[in-house]
Amino acid sequence: MSMDLTAIPLLSLILWLPVVGALLLFFVRKESTIKLIALATMLLDFVVSLGLLLNWSNTGDMQFVEKLLWIPPLNISYHLGVDGISLFLVLLTTLLGPIVVLYSWHNIKNNLRAFMVLLLVQQTGIVGVFTSLDLILFFIFWEFTLIPMYFLIGRWGGQRRVYAAVKFFLYTMAGSALMLVVILLLYWQTGSFDWIELQQTPLDPTVQTWAFLAFALAFAIKVPLFPFHTWLPDAHVEAPTAGSVILAGVLLKMGIYGFLRFCLPLFPDATLRFAPWIAGLALAGILYGALVALVQKDVKSLVAYSSIAHLGFVMLGVVSLNQQGLAGAVLQSVNHGLSTGALFLMVGMIYDRRHTRLLTEFGGLWKQIPIYSALLLVVVMASVGLPGLNGFVGEFTILVGAFKANRLWAVLGTVGVIFAAWYLLAAVRGMLQGPLDNPANQKLQDLSAREIWVLVPLILLFFLIGLFPNLFLDKINPAVETLLHGMNAAAQISFLP
Amino acid sequence: MMIDYLPLLILFVVAAVFAAIAIIMPSLIGPKNPNKMKQEPIESGMIPFTDARQRFPVQYYMVAVLFILFDIEVVFMYPWAVLLNKLKVFGLIEMGFFLLILLIGYVYVWRKGAFEWD
Amino acid sequence: MNLPHIDFSVITPELIVIATALVVMLAEFVGAHATPSPTRSHRIALIALLGLVLAALAAVAGLGRAATDIQGMLVADDLGRYLELVVLLAAALGLLLAWDYLPQFTKMHSEYYALYLLAVVGMMFMGKSTELITLFVSLEILSVALYVLTGFHRGQLAAGEAALKYFLLGAFSSAFFIYGAALLYGDTGSTHLVDIAARASGGFLTLAGLALLLVGFGFKLAVVPFHMWTPDVYQGAPTPVTAFMSVGTKAAAFVALFRVLQAAGVSYATWSLVLALLATLTMTWGNLAALRQSSLKRMLAYSSIAHAGYMLIGVTAGMQLGLSAVLFYLFAYAFMNIGAFAVVSLLERPGYHATQDATIDAARGLFARKPLLAVVMAIFLLSLAGVPPLAGFFGKLYLFNAAVQSGWIWLAIVGMINSVVSAYYYLRVTVLMFMTEADETSFLRSPLSNATGLAIAVAMVGTLLLGIFAGPWLQQLGQAALAFAGS
Repeated sequence: MSMDLTAIPLLSLILWLPVVGALLLFFVRKESTIKLIALATMLLDFVVSLGLLLNWSNTGDMQFVEKLLWIPPLNISYHLGVDGISLFLVLLTTLLGPIVVLYSWHNIKNNLRAFMVLLLVQQTGIVGVFTSLDLILFFIFWEFTLIPMYFLIGRWGGQRRVYAAVKFFLYTMAGSALMLVVILLLYWQTGSFDWIELQQTPLDPTVQTWAFLAFALAFAIKVPLFPFHTWLPDAHVEAPTAGSVILAGVLLKMGIYGFLRFCLPLFPDATLRFAPWIAGLALAGILYGALVALVQKDVKSLVAYSSIAHLGFVMLGVVSLNQQGLAGAVLQSVNHGLSTGALFLMVGMIYDRRHTRLLTEFGGLWKQIPIYSALLLVVVMASVGLPGLNGFVGEFTILVGAFKANRLWAVLGTVGVIFAAWYLLAAVRGMLQGPLDNPANQKLQDLSAREIWVLVPLILLFFLIGLFPNLFLDKINPAVETLLHGMNAAAQISFLP
Repeated sequence: MMIDYLPLLILFVVAAVFAAIAIIMPSLIGPKNPNKMKQEPIESGMIPFTDARQRFPVQYYMVAVLFILFDIEVVFMYPWAVLLNKLKVFGLIEMGFFLLILLIGYVYVWRKGAFEWD
Repeated sequence: MNLPHIDFSVITPELIVIATALVVMLAEFVGAHATPSPTRSHRIALIALLGLVLAALAAVAGLGRAATDIQGMLVADDLGRYLELVVLLAAALGLLLAWDYLPQFTKMHSEYYALYLLAVVGMMFMGKSTELITLFVSLEILSVALYVLTGFHRGQLAAGEAALKYFLLGAFSSAFFIYGAALLYGDTGSTHLVDIAARASGGFLTLAGLALLLVGFGFKLAVVPFHMWTPDVYQGAPTPVTAFMSVGTKAAAFVALFRVLQAAGVSYATWSLVLALLATLTMTWGNLAALRQSSLKRMLAYSSIAHAGYMLIGVTAGMQLGLSAVLFYLFAYAFMNIGAFAVVSLLERPGYHATQDATIDAARGLFARKPLLAVVMAIFLLSLAGVPPLAGFFGKLYLFNAAVQSGWIWLAIVGMINSVVSAYYYLRVTVLMFMTEADETSFLRSPLSNATGLAIAVAMVGTLLLGIFAGPWLQQLGQAALAFAGS
């Protein structure tokens, strides 16, 4: 099937469709119609985003580029584009959209309309972050994503939602404050906010150092890199399930993406200089996240801490600064989005039934709700990196990259992988096996058809990525290659073999 | 330069010295025969028959303020009248505007009832 | 004797507003005395609004035609026109707020609107003055009108206190200002800014005169350490007046400050460090103090101090970039700040003697009670905090850009950190609106009248779209600034 989609501003369409849907919602009163419109918009957005794949060419360049001068006095443009690094992150975002809407079908009791509007505009913000090629445009989307998530957590979240929401907002805003100043500094130095132009302008090493640090702070808080992670457990645990899924699935990836898109190509010398430090923090995060996850009593916070460990792992791939490391980081970002998203969904499903998430409350679920248990097992296996499933491919590629960069990193990273298997499997065993002795669990209903449909696409993708990773890596690799070559050419010392 | 301001400074000094002399000398050389009558407060040469700190009806202030307002209006008209021959029609129109604005104020005050005592 | 030639096109908007003020004064006496008070009030307000709109049209018509001046005292360049527009915008929005707010506590409608318009005239003249005495007179016109308006709610103790405080401190600051003007006159023998620019010695007299003028401006702009009056006055004044003066006075004073600094005849380096320190102090103190407020109006008062600090960054950055950034910020600020005050005015308990002040608890559960209003208020507050893609963000972007471009990187950093601090207290209100349930402390004046609704709608559209369609607008302001800086 071939269709020429280049004439259509595909990225703008993907970007703004959710906003159109959100505006439509203001004219609807009936709850069922609201849900339908939200779901239809999300599905349409996903279908449109698949158009990116249809016309994809396996090069490392920016594709589907749109450029429009927006604010002439400051030379700010509306400049969009995707390459292999952002492609799957955009697709991940549009895929999770309909899934969280479908998940939230029955369990949002108040202000359904506002909830859906927030989910929709959130999607626009995230897609904007992944596709902006103008630093100011990027910053606008970057900060904008705070607003919907703040309200999602604060209004529909759990017990300590207000604390979590405010902390999330202030942390991220504080982190990105310096980034804006540095963006302006770059403009002062180069006269441009444009990513492509900036890449071609060599920067003074001192400026690079400061710029890198400011950008890295913003991104490290988002990832979150140890020790900037303290907002994450609060936000993840208190957010409503849909919010947790988006948070873990794509919002955190914005940090990884930021490193890949901006820190590496724009400040290559500084990246080389700070890479070992970041690797150290990433390793600390892997071990810390794993150890803290091990002692969690609440399943949701267990998943949250496991995210810190997983993303530390992804960061390890990023700072390996070689083909495998970077490609693995991109792929593993997507994997983590899928599997942790699925984990949060499944935690949400059991919470909807039992209104508790304490591990001690569960046991022997396999006997009562076999479908749930089977799916949970698959999801956990994907998360711990069982060969044949997606997590394995990503983790393995990253480990290869890390091994090439520094053997110690690889060894410590592997310890992290073992830990991850340990804490997740221990938790699952506790939940699924053993006697079904809690009377509350004996009346549990198994998954409804809707809930199964929420999970099926994710699980299919686990297998697709796990069995045919090259479908994905073929698109990721050229972009990574371009990135590395660009860095190598711009850096003062050559680092590629 | 600054030396131009010297006369000003001298004036200040002279004024201050004069004031100081006027205050200090009488208390030094004046005869003092105090008695009860002399120590009574006076008001316009009379012995006050009530406490001085009583409240005036607010109408007094109103009249006083209005008087100042429209009195100044006339003050402005003197120099204008002297120069009218030179200012010609321009001056006439300008003063027309000036009076119009005051007239509007007058009408406002009048209709608000500020001229009525009660 | 040469008769003065007067080009009335220089002051058309001001003349229109003055004429409207005079009409409004007498409008009360037209028609039967039996006319119920709100109707009469609305009629008067409508006349005033019409005058403001006409004046705005006149100002727009004057754009691009930098006109000659009256005896060199006033100039109608594009800078002045944009200042007129921002003042008129703030005035129109504030007037719509007063529409239903005023009849709640007073029957003195003519007086209110006439004084209000005179304050507008004072602000407009102030930003167009090119001569110190004219500047002083316009400053006094606006100040005296605002003193009275501040104390307009006579039943309230707080209003009287606010008016008295404002009057005493204002008079005090006027003295500083006029003394500064006198010193500059002593230095140069002229009160015209052009002459001062040409002849200033740059010595002690110039510096002292300039410093005293700066103190005078500092009072009007609520710059720390001259800000003490602000919280009390903003809290005691009727909310529509607070909304209007928080924007209008700042606009006029900032533009006038630019004119004076340009003519100062002192090198940029001399005053920019002082301004940078004042900006830092003002932002930081305003934001820190706002963190602890429990009254919405006081919180917004401290926030407005902080915003004056942000705009001082633009002044520090210097002429062309800084000026256009400050102008843009003033427009953004007019929309978002008056919008916020509009919602606050709905949260106040009405009544003649009641303590009218809205505590932040009044906003509790607003989202459940009036979802749209809560959303709108959140947009205003987030814009004030500088969250994209709202007008406030773009305003700060241009200000900080101006700072960075002129080498004041640390100042931009201080500004950004302050934005983060300020986010905390703005978020606090959104927390109460969205994340708590209504209880007995929450309140909303209802029903929402058309006039207030219109004001909120205009403010919201401005807040949402000003930034997104900033391109051409910024270009215009930039040209106005360039024309001014180059002249």
